[in-house]
Amino acid sequence: MADSKKRRRKEVGGGDELPFKDKLKADIAILETLKEFSASTSSGSGGQTLTLQDLPLPFRCREVADLSLSSVQSNIESLILRIAHSILSGHGFSFDVPSRSAANQLYVPELDRIVLKDKSSQRPFANISTVRKSAITARILQLIHQLCIKGIHVTKRDLFYTDVKLFQDQIQSDAVLDDVSCMLGCTRSSLNVVAAEKGVVVGRLIFSDNGDMIDCTKMGMGGKAIPPNIDRVGDMQSDALFILLVEKDAAYMRLAEDRFYNRFPCIIVTAKGQPDVSTRLFLRKMKTELKLPVLALVDSDPYGLKILSVYGCGSKNMSYDSANLTTPDIKWLGVRPSDLDKYKIPEQCRLPMTEQDIKTGKDLLEEDFVKKNPGWVEELSLMVKTKQKAEIQALSTFGFQYLSEVYLPLKLQQKDWL
Amino acid sequence: MDGDCSSASPTESKKTKSKTPRKPKESLLKQKSPAEFFAENKNIAGFDNPGKSLYTTVRELVENSLDSAESISELPVVEITIEEIGKTKFNSMIGLVDRERVDAALYDDYETEKAREKRLAKEARAQEMQAKNAALGKKVKEASATKVMKGRGEASFYRVTCKDNGKGMPHDDIPNMFGRVLSGTKYGLKQTRGKFGLGAKMALIWSKMSTGLPIEISSSMKNQNYISFCRLDIDIHKNIPHVHLHEKRENKEHWRGAEIQVVIEGNWTTYRSKILHYMRQMAVITPYAQLLFKFVSDTPDKNVSVRFARRTDVMPPIPMETKHHPSSVDLLLIKRLIAETSKQNLLQFLQHEFVNINKSYAERLIGEMGPDFSAKIPVKSLTSQQLVRIHQLLRQAKFDDPSGHCLSPAGEYNLRLGIIKELHPDMVATYSGSAQVFEGHPFIVEAGVSVGGKDVKQGLNIFRFANRIPLLFEQGADVVTRTALKRINWSSYKINQIQDKIGVFVSIVSTKIPFKGTGKEYIGDDITEIASAVKYAIQQCCVQLKSKIVKKMQAREQQERKRNLSRYIPDASAAVYNVLKEMTQLHAAKKIRYEDDALELLRKVSDNLVTKETLSEKLAKHVEQVDYEMALEYATQSGVSEEPRETIYIQSLEAENKMIDLQTPFIVFRLFQ
Repeated sequence: MADSKKRRRKEVGGGDELPFKDKLKADIAILETLKEFSASTSSGSGGQTLTLQDLPLPFRCREVADLSLSSVQSNIESLILRIAHSILSGHGFSFDVPSRSAANQLYVPELDRIVLKDKSSQRPFANISTVRKSAITARILQLIHQLCIKGIHVTKRDLFYTDVKLFQDQIQSDAVLDDVSCMLGCTRSSLNVVAAEKGVVVGRLIFSDNGDMIDCTKMGMGGKAIPPNIDRVGDMQSDALFILLVEKDAAYMRLAEDRFYNRFPCIIVTAKGQPDVSTRLFLRKMKTELKLPVLALVDSDPYGLKILSVYGCGSKNMSYDSANLTTPDIKWLGVRPSDLDKYKIPEQCRLPMTEQDIKTGKDLLEEDFVKKNPGWVEELSLMVKTKQKAEIQALSTFGFQYLSEVYLPLKLQQKDWL
Repeated sequence: MDGDCSSASPTESKKTKSKTPRKPKESLLKQKSPAEFFAENKNIAGFDNPGKSLYTTVRELVENSLDSAESISELPVVEITIEEIGKTKFNSMIGLVDRERVDAALYDDYETEKAREKRLAKEARAQEMQAKNAALGKKVKEASATKVMKGRGEASFYRVTCKDNGKGMPHDDIPNMFGRVLSGTKYGLKQTRGKFGLGAKMALIWSKMSTGLPIEISSSMKNQNYISFCRLDIDIHKNIPHVHLHEKRENKEHWRGAEIQVVIEGNWTTYRSKILHYMRQMAVITPYAQLLFKFVSDTPDKNVSVRFARRTDVMPPIPMETKHHPSSVDLLLIKRLIAETSKQNLLQFLQHEFVNINKSYAERLIGEMGPDFSAKIPVKSLTSQQLVRIHQLLRQAKFDDPSGHCLSPAGEYNLRLGIIKELHPDMVATYSGSAQVFEGHPFIVEAGVSVGGKDVKQGLNIFRFANRIPLLFEQGADVVTRTALKRINWSSYKINQIQDKIGVFVSIVSTKIPFKGTGKEYIGDDITEIASAVKYAIQQCCVQLKSKIVKKMQAREQQERKRNLSRYIPDASAAVYNVLKEMTQLHAAKKIRYEDDALELLRKVSDNLVTKETLSEKLAKHVEQVDYEMALEYATQSGVSEEPRETIYIQSLEAENKMIDLQTPFIVFRLFQ
């Protein structure tokens, strides 16, 4: 396997010249810089990460914690008991649901993530606009109570299918599920409800999944699906120097097939677009346990940066659990707007930004998580100014393997990340 | 550019070119009469093809008739008839004998041996399929009528007759009114339907091109004891009328009006719906007119006869002729005004030939023009440089906007009535904007928005009117279409853009409608003044509708609240009960400790004192109570204004009142039927 790979690389090297290939130093030299970088990260992040309690914030914030099954169960029971009493005394019932609207969100620069403020709203049964939601909330509470008693996991899809008639579509049951975990003050994983597997990981990583040892170098081209229950994952070991976060499945495939992680020891992760909860949990676990730097490879468009922000400081939808879901200090490796000219990507591979794109880009410029990083502001301003975007695949214009053969090695060699 | 160039030849040639164009080779300098120009560029006036020509002919005649009746404040009655003329009849009309085809293969539509084989095979296959389908018991589709292949020469001809009760025409002017392109009575600065003096003449040119038959005009004016009859065609090369017959006939019935008859080539089948749409929309915007449309052909089942009855006798005022606004004039116009003016000096000229310039303002303007000018300077003696200076100043100076009183919008009342009459919508709102200005020309935008109705498609149905003429073609680029589709957020007015039947009516009137394109078919989207006025007018209608819709929704909510709330009682009570049930079981098995009042509840549950039904009942009671309170609140808020609605039928004014009088010595009962 390794032989054939080597031969292939030689063929490419000896054949037609890839642009900027001559700038590349020997792999050993690049590895040296990487080792330095990796070491500095692991020593630097030795300090304790801040929590909400450490900060003297002028208002209260809502955060959830991992709760044991039994405490989730007793939380539900006391809630239901309160409701039953209220019904029997003829007052109907009402839930007190923390608001997850944008107005109730806050970016805290000290923590580098979005947190939820403590505003909440009533969800009475006897009101035409909330009757549906409160009925669904009661039903979800009952279903989760059952899961707690039985001690099993189900997916969000499973949950939806238990009462399709009431829920009507999965968006509604999913939204209420987030409300419920907010109400009970626990993470969504502690409700024993998981999302379907979406993310994949490949590279220099060994971990145990439900007791089985997994070697991610021996998972074939597709890699290992990131397990939905993070609590079953443990014993992470790795000799990688960094984690490479990839936005797109296609770029991930390219890197996996070329066994990029053998040339430069790394762990490659993708969530195929917007990251799901389990991928974010997994990334955070890798980062905290292995103390590796995280480099991100996303499209050069506003959405690429948005995805980066979700990994970095959390989504608004799940801000109540941002403490567990976010991975601080992700470096933006590429493809950055400045790369388009730097790597002379031809015009026909760049796309004009739509009005919507430009608006998203301008909105992002106002976001705190972008503003805190001057390099990002510069790049994003450049994108909005040139009104051009490009996907990772634009690099394929110099050959399908340009990404793994030249672009990434050169980027790593030059420490070209922000 | 052409400074001190060493080789003078290019500059020289340029100069000569600009003065007297050097003729390339032996091409002769020809001149074209206006009639010739329009004959060659028929599409400019909307005569692109036979079908469109038929449509445009109808349109021009109807609009002329309406203008004519309105000019003497007479409620218009317009009858328009399209008569199909068969080939044989047509030939006999022009005195041509029908000839049998001798050499069949000479003709374009001759079916060769090969083509016939192909056709027969196809027909046989179709028959086989049909038999198969019939045998299988499938619903047999009606055999599509085998299309008769129309050969190239196979044209259809129509006689279009338009009769009105308008002003009529002076006997001696008739030949020039029809036989001279670009001559007209509507050239002044006022809001008119027609503008260029082209319509009826183009119909004549088209008839000359396609049939060669002359146009026939009968007309009589008020207090004339004769009818003028004129048969004429046009000499296209000279742009002069060619009169066949021009005589005075007896007018026994004291008829007043005009009747115009023209025979043209056309295409009824493809433009049927357009012509009918046009008539319908015309009826919407002019509900005070009585329109009668007839189509007559040899096959009686194709005949159409539609009567658009008059629903009101309120007519918009006649648009007045107005003076030019100083900011809209150009150099040529100033020269023309000077040539035509009766005023002697500059001061009087400025003061009287323009709107919004009073004496003191005129004096200020003259002072600003410079030392070469004075108030007393004779206006006819101004040099061309001085004219340029005047033009510059008029362009730059600030003037009050022209008022809209010279315009004659359809009026909110008429627009509303027209919409109700033709569409029968569930809801309608209208709005009439105030006059605004674009390049010195005042314009008024009126809009109506309707929801629901018969014969209305789901989604947006857009009806456009410019100077009270319906616009049917080139809808996509029009300012109204663009605005309604892109700039109105329908959902914020509780209107569903896809599912509701929305009618959007926008009527723009102006002394100059800024049409785009060659045909006068649409108004461009690039004029911000008009676009924002249109948007505002539509929004105003939507705001009115929204309150109606919201009220309707609230009323419906009132009725359905209890049902909607009750619908979720079983789900909620079952969920709560099931948790309680599980808890009692756990309590029994694992002895999990609960607090005291929890224990009491759980005991009741295990003893079946509290069941799912108990919870449901309690919830139902609570819902009922809340519903009662809400209903009370709603009633106090909205008051008891909900009287039973009745459908109102508007009777047409012209309809005869059928009634029976029951007489008694004291009173009369009148029964309307």
